[in-house]
Amino acid sequence: MSSDPLDNDKSSLPRFARSAHASHCNRCLSGLPSTQVEADTSRLAVGFYCLGVMDMLGLLESKINETERERWRDWVWNQQSSGTYGTGFRPGPYMTGQDSLCWSDVTQPGDEYSEYDTPHLIMTYTALLSLAILRDDFKRLEKKGILKFLRSCQRSDGSFSSLPNGGDSDLRQVYCAFAISSILDDWSGIDVDSAVKYIQRCENYEGGYGQSPGGEALGGTTYCALASLHLAPVPSSSSSPSRTPLFSPHISTKHRSRTIRWLLQNQTPSGGFCGRTNKVADACYCFWSGASLHILGASGLVDNRALATFLSTCQFKFGGIAKAPEERPDPYHTYMAIAALAIYPPEDADESWTLPEMNALWNTTDETAQWIRDHIHNK
Amino acid sequence: MPRVTSNNSDDEAQLYCEKSEWQDITPIPQYDGINPIAPIFYTPEYKDATEYFRAIVKADEVSERVLQLTYDIISMNPAHYSAWQYRYRTLVALKHPLDVELELMDAFAIKFLKTYQVWHHRRLLLTALRSSAPSPLSIASKELAFIIRALSTDTKNYHTWSYRQWLLAFFDDEELWEGELPYVERLLETDVRNNSAWHHRYFVVWGRVRAEGEIDVGDVLKREIAYTKDQIALAPNNPSAWNYLRGILEHTKTPFNSLRTFVELYSTQTAPGEEDIVDLDNPKPGPGAQLPCAPALEFLADIHEEMGGEQTKKAIEIWKSLGNEYDTMRKKYWEFRVKEALSV
Repeated sequence: MSSDPLDNDKSSLPRFARSAHASHCNRCLSGLPSTQVEADTSRLAVGFYCLGVMDMLGLLESKINETERERWRDWVWNQQSSGTYGTGFRPGPYMTGQDSLCWSDVTQPGDEYSEYDTPHLIMTYTALLSLAILRDDFKRLEKKGILKFLRSCQRSDGSFSSLPNGGDSDLRQVYCAFAISSILDDWSGIDVDSAVKYIQRCENYEGGYGQSPGGEALGGTTYCALASLHLAPVPSSSSSPSRTPLFSPHISTKHRSRTIRWLLQNQTPSGGFCGRTNKVADACYCFWSGASLHILGASGLVDNRALATFLSTCQFKFGGIAKAPEERPDPYHTYMAIAALAIYPPEDADESWTLPEMNALWNTTDETAQWIRDHIHNK
Repeated sequence: MPRVTSNNSDDEAQLYCEKSEWQDITPIPQYDGINPIAPIFYTPEYKDATEYFRAIVKADEVSERVLQLTYDIISMNPAHYSAWQYRYRTLVALKHPLDVELELMDAFAIKFLKTYQVWHHRRLLLTALRSSAPSPLSIASKELAFIIRALSTDTKNYHTWSYRQWLLAFFDDEELWEGELPYVERLLETDVRNNSAWHHRYFVVWGRVRAEGEIDVGDVLKREIAYTKDQIALAPNNPSAWNYLRGILEHTKTPFNSLRTFVELYSTQTAPGEEDIVDLDNPKPGPGAQLPCAPALEFLADIHEEMGGEQTKKAIEIWKSLGNEYDTMRKKYWEFRVKEALSV
């Protein structure tokens, strides 16, 4: 058991190993070992975490040259695919044959994908963010097709499925649909009212949101719910002030207080957040719960120092950040830990801990968010 | 119908490209693109099997051997959702007995407990079986028993619990529901801090849709409060139990103040002595309990705040003590509560 974080004197925070964390992610970008084969169907997400780390550490341009970035942009665009259900991004080329007309026998004319190779909602969200991080001009964006794809993924209960023809459907996909709509600055692809009702059905007696209605309150899906409710366009009948990170007309004051209480209760004596009541702290929940509190305007109530102390102990000695001390690092936990630290910078820490401002609703840096506005919204 | 086997020893060492019965298929290698992001160094077995899978999908083949191929792929990568999708489609098209498939997947599900696809596949199977099997209820009941086995390896697995809750709601039969509370109680006897079990209790007692008049809410609430008090007496600093208590009071719009006597027992410095009268409605903390406990103090402050007026001062005092002494991690939160109360 680590010592009480409050007793730590301020000099005790070790340096944040920026360069080693960037190297960990750079290594993953250039290749994953066969033991990581489960990433085959989520490679764009792995790419997003790695690129996101480089973006937050401000090392993308210095560590990766423009030619390589250009090729990565092309590779991501190659995952964009259009067909019956609209346009979106596939997780990667795991179904792409060396014969480029691989699917011509089983697809409708004009379709670029089969029923077993459709675009994926979560991957479409991570692709758009990755392209923005790579400072793409978005000239190849099929906006109309993506809106059609969102429509194909929404179900009658308001939720969204990962795939237009099946797959899981819960708050994670709802969040991605909301984030994509706001990134495109066009909400015509989704039925917001029914999705909001679905989100509200996921709130649970503890104050957090379960993954789906009736589910146990969980940090990750609580973030999905809160970010979605704050991204959602404000109904025109509402007399509310303009949308701010502190206000959503879809959350009552009473519910907001209950959610804040539950989220804060999950900061454990280690300083890190756990995802559910009575579980152990995990680096990723430092972001999910921390960003949730930030969205609710309660970031001032978090013990920043204890949070940074916990995350400093999750740093792996050869780079990368693990979910907990003594565990192996991975790009996902590395990204989430850094994003959490960007929202909760420890006071009086040395410059190695300095990170850029975050856009907590989209989960990217402010600068990348601005790039999206400049290159997608105003087109 | 031949059963798909997972461990045919003759096949085990062989790649698909070496198997005579696959010679009619031309494998399709993967095109990863120029300068790909996060390319995976596939094992020869995975690379081989997925090349045949691409070819099968392209040819739109539906056959028994597809079941073997997809089984091999998901054994190497249980997150390969396309292989799962294609497998399910093939099972349905071949009219393969789905209860046999369910059984085949038992060991698999326990091995890959944390993979979403494993549980999604079972949902599809159970959905189909409900409308097609001669006695769907016995299948559902068997499935509940299987889930208990799966949970025994990881009592807080999120996917597994979600699947159990889905199953109960989907079949919605008294015969299935009735075993749930005893099961929850067994789990809480082993680990009273298992929040998934507390959550399941809430789901079973309060989440189930009931016809009007089917149950007496007052009786149920009484029973649940008594049960939760007993669990708090065993482990006073257990936020799962306190959250449950708060949840059911809010759900039934019962004032927190109704539990004042009980909560006060846990908000004082010292445990009540043995000489005190035994009050069965308000079990005392055990002799080793660390008192006062923070969740009780918080609860008591909420009672004071609920009462308002002069009592607000008492709430503020408690919040200050939480921030300064009993729950210093959340000092800023307790200061915030003080500020909020003063600004009203």
